[in-house]
Amino acid sequence: MGSRLMSVVGTPVGRGAVPGFWRRLRYRARISMREPTTLLGILVALLFAYLIIVPIASLLVDAGRVQFGDERRIGAAPGEWTLYYISRALFSPVAGNLFWAPLFNTLSVAIGAITISLAIGGPLAWLVSRTDMFARRWFATALIVPFMLPAWTFALAWTTLFKNRSVGGQLGWFEAMGFAPPDWLAYGQVPITIILALNYIPFFILLFGNALRRFDSQLEDSARMLGARSSTVAFRIIGPMMLPALMSAIILAFAKCIGEFGVPYVLGLPVNYDLLATGLYRSISSRQTGVAAVLAAAIMLIGVISLLIDARLVREARKFVTVGAKGAMSRKSALGPLRVPATAFAALIFLVSVGLPLLTLSLSTIMRVPANFAWSNFTLDYWIGTDLETVALRTGILLSPSLWSAAWNTLTIVGTASICSGLLGLLVGYVVVRTPVRPLAGFLRQVTFLPYLVPGIAFAAAYLSLFAVQRGPIPALYGTAAILLLALVADQMPYASRAGISAMMQLGKDPEEAAQISGAGWLRRMAWIVVPVQKGALVTGILLPFISGIKGLSLFVILAVPATDVLTTYSLRLVDYNYTQAANAVVLIIAAIAYFGTLLAQKLTKTNLADGLGT
Amino acid sequence: MPAITLYGAEKNYGGNAANAVSNLDLEIDDGEFMCLLGPSGCGKTTTLRMIAGLEHLSDGRIAVGERVVDCVSSGTFVSPEKRGMGLVFQSYALWPHMTVERNTDFGLRLRKVPRAEREARVARVMETLGIEKYRDRYPSQLSGGQQQRVALARMLAVNPDVLLLDEPLSNLDARLRLEMRAELKRLHEEFRTTIVFVTHDQWEAMTLATSIAVMNEGTLQQRGTPNDIYDRPANRFVAEFVGSPPINIIEMAAGSPLAASARTYFTRHFPALDGIGSVGMRPEALAIAATAEDVPSGAFGEEATVSGVLPTGGSWIIELQCKGAKLFLTTHLAPHVEDGDGVQVYIRPEALHVFDDQGNRHGKADDMLGTGAGAKARKTVQPMHA
Ligand SMILES: Nc1ncnc2c1ncn2[C@@H]1O[C@H](COP(=O)(O)OP(=O)(O)OP(=O)(O)O)[C@@H](O)[C@H]1O
Ligand SMILES: [Mg+2]
Repeated sequence: MGSRLMSVVGTPVGRGAVPGFWRRLRYRARISMREPTTLLGILVALLFAYLIIVPIASLLVDAGRVQFGDERRIGAAPGEWTLYYISRALFSPVAGNLFWAPLFNTLSVAIGAITISLAIGGPLAWLVSRTDMFARRWFATALIVPFMLPAWTFALAWTTLFKNRSVGGQLGWFEAMGFAPPDWLAYGQVPITIILALNYIPFFILLFGNALRRFDSQLEDSARMLGARSSTVAFRIIGPMMLPALMSAIILAFAKCIGEFGVPYVLGLPVNYDLLATGLYRSISSRQTGVAAVLAAAIMLIGVISLLIDARLVREARKFVTVGAKGAMSRKSALGPLRVPATAFAALIFLVSVGLPLLTLSLSTIMRVPANFAWSNFTLDYWIGTDLETVALRTGILLSPSLWSAAWNTLTIVGTASICSGLLGLLVGYVVVRTPVRPLAGFLRQVTFLPYLVPGIAFAAAYLSLFAVQRGPIPALYGTAAILLLALVADQMPYASRAGISAMMQLGKDPEEAAQISGAGWLRRMAWIVVPVQKGALVTGILLPFISGIKGLSLFVILAVPATDVLTTYSLRLVDYNYTQAANAVVLIIAAIAYFGTLLAQKLTKTNLADGLGT
Repeated sequence: MPAITLYGAEKNYGGNAANAVSNLDLEIDDGEFMCLLGPSGCGKTTTLRMIAGLEHLSDGRIAVGERVVDCVSSGTFVSPEKRGMGLVFQSYALWPHMTVERNTDFGLRLRKVPRAEREARVARVMETLGIEKYRDRYPSQLSGGQQQRVALARMLAVNPDVLLLDEPLSNLDARLRLEMRAELKRLHEEFRTTIVFVTHDQWEAMTLATSIAVMNEGTLQQRGTPNDIYDRPANRFVAEFVGSPPINIIEMAAGSPLAASARTYFTRHFPALDGIGSVGMRPEALAIAATAEDVPSGAFGEEATVSGVLPTGGSWIIELQCKGAKLFLTTHLAPHVEDGDGVQVYIRPEALHVFDDQGNRHGKADDMLGTGAGAKARKTVQPMHA
């Protein structure tokens, strides 16, 4: 048919003649569609366009259109374009409370927390990766435990210790012992900053420690051979080379910190100390959808800007990495007389950031009255008791059906979402690496990364805005497990797709091509070669999102309803009802699942959390 | 066993890179053992992958026997798994999650070969390649050479009609390599499998191939029997690429004393010959004589000084300074010369390779010098070796 077409047009046909544009195109199309890869890729791309781009777009549009219920106030029909919400959030008399104060609080908390965690985490990173500190290996694992636990675990530990009389419910230990902690110590900026700082220390140990480990000692040595003193080496060689990695770690931590919800929820809301994330939550609960959209957009914008800066820095850092990549050798510096103080410092940080909070929480769940260490005050009732004298929760937490239904919900919803995102991640990796249609690969890569720029709370708001009402054939999903599932999958895609892409890159195409040559069709190759080889990557790709999903809070707090209660929302409700012991018990259960799950994932896949984080 | 034909095959990897393969016309006859020879990056692997179907064409057509398997203008494309070929990858591409045995019997399982036969065939192939000891190991537990043998075993087990080999012996030690060559040759003779073999090693190409295709920068330079390629290189590139030590070249345009003396020689003996760009002399075609009287009449001879004698085990390389140029000579007879000796170096006219200004073989010179018709260079003619 092609040749007939060409002879009609009058171009000579045959060898040597340039084949027409259309014939080339047809050949290429046939090549591309020969295997299901591209077709699957297109389907997945459509799915993500719907799960990721549409909600975000819909949220942004909400900020500029009249919402239901605001017709009279604005004087326009719902759906019309308006600047009302933006001006209300940014310029009205309430703008201070609504936007500027939370923005200021967010920035000051983030900057404070990161400064502290950098000041502590930086030296620790060096201690655990490049020195002969005592028990170095043990600390390398122990110090990153906070990373495996939900941040608000520590917030609850804090309230258990410092809660004062300005808020109802059980007293904090200090108050109970007679020292009344002032409000600034019990709630608000100071504790939020401290808790976040403690929580981000592992982040620096992991990211910065990784870079330090990869740093080639030969570079140091060659400077020394040229006669440089240790201080010169530190400032002229190690410092400048580590700077991009350090800056990148700071910015990644900052971007994560901006979206942090659980800690300010526990420690800020009682005294009306709002961050952007809690302000957003407040706006959503008070049904101010338009203003919520403006806040969400602001959080996203900060995220996007940080990530753009980070992308630049990573590119910068990459220039350096090659320098020390080959034959990299790392030698441990001897600490000499500082060995004991250094170890004591690490031990102290471990105690403050892991030991004390977990101990406090654990003790609080077996004590009737706070801070009374008499033998008679201890009880296991809050775990396994029956016929308690409380209003609602009349049995120990382990005997309460609500716990088990929340646990079941967590397992099924988060589990299903993780399996979906793990499989989708691998599929995305496969398509990105294999499809001959390069634009499709580029689109998939970017669209699956998009949720990384959007903090969970903003993403949840986006889902709420899109799926709260029926749209086209999609029924209103609010209140169902489906909305949680979809939001979780989308939220986990950045990690899942990155894991999938790097696994497929590592595999290369040769083994699959060899199978193809041997006569294996596409399905065979998937079933016999690709999936079995990527078993490890798949397990990681499912387990890691599962763990982060279990301890995640911001998606659930907005999208879950009592029927779809999960462990995190259940424990928050217990906090709200002032069932301190029970709430702390649930938090401990979550922490235990997250911790042992991480260990299991590392065991199964022989990977290290530290390696996965570096990418 | 089918013949493979490439018509104007072209491959561009996209971007603004140059063609990896350009306008390649190549016929690989039924049952042929063809070697693709060329420097690194000249498109050998690309050609092999196009034949296998792992790379689609940017232009042109490929047929296997009567069947067109890839054609840009008609939009035909037969996928690799349906071409029934075997390909041994340069990078081995073993399946990391399967043992050596599973790697080897993969193709047979796919073809649903009954178990007894499968086991027998796998055992035989593994024995031939000396890998039966490792049958339960995983590829990561094997050395490079062992992996290479597994890669080979995997393809040999299914006994394909067409076997494509991308430097399959590069990682083996000398002895094993010799055995594997013999095995491939035996295989080829027994089953008449059409084999396309990529190698860097000219000696390997010379000993194994029934025909050789020399490529450079994505284009075919010459296709012929090993003797053709060596004795009647179609152009300067082929002449210089094949042979070790490399062929001695006299650039006529350079105006060096040696070039002037060559010009005098041609004017005296072959006055009708013009358009000579350069002259090539294989090291083993050069000979030395003690005095000018000992040089046979009609031969091109010059005075030279010995500047080095290098024994290479059974043969010698003699380095000569001849009118300011350096010449290499090889001989299998123990040379009775030493550094600094003055000698006469000479070559018979029929052993001269004359190239025109473009660097192509000078057809007329072949006729006149008696090296055989240049036009017939592609046919197998036993050359008159100097
Ligand atoms: N996937 C690819 N993308 C872009 N360019 C490529 C790709 N594969 C090969 N090339 C380029 O095509 C040219 C031919 O490569 P090819 O691998 O065919 O060389 P080769 O002759 O097999 O070399 P070697 O002997 O080193 O294996 C090279 O210039 C190479 O850089
Ligand atoms: Mg190659």
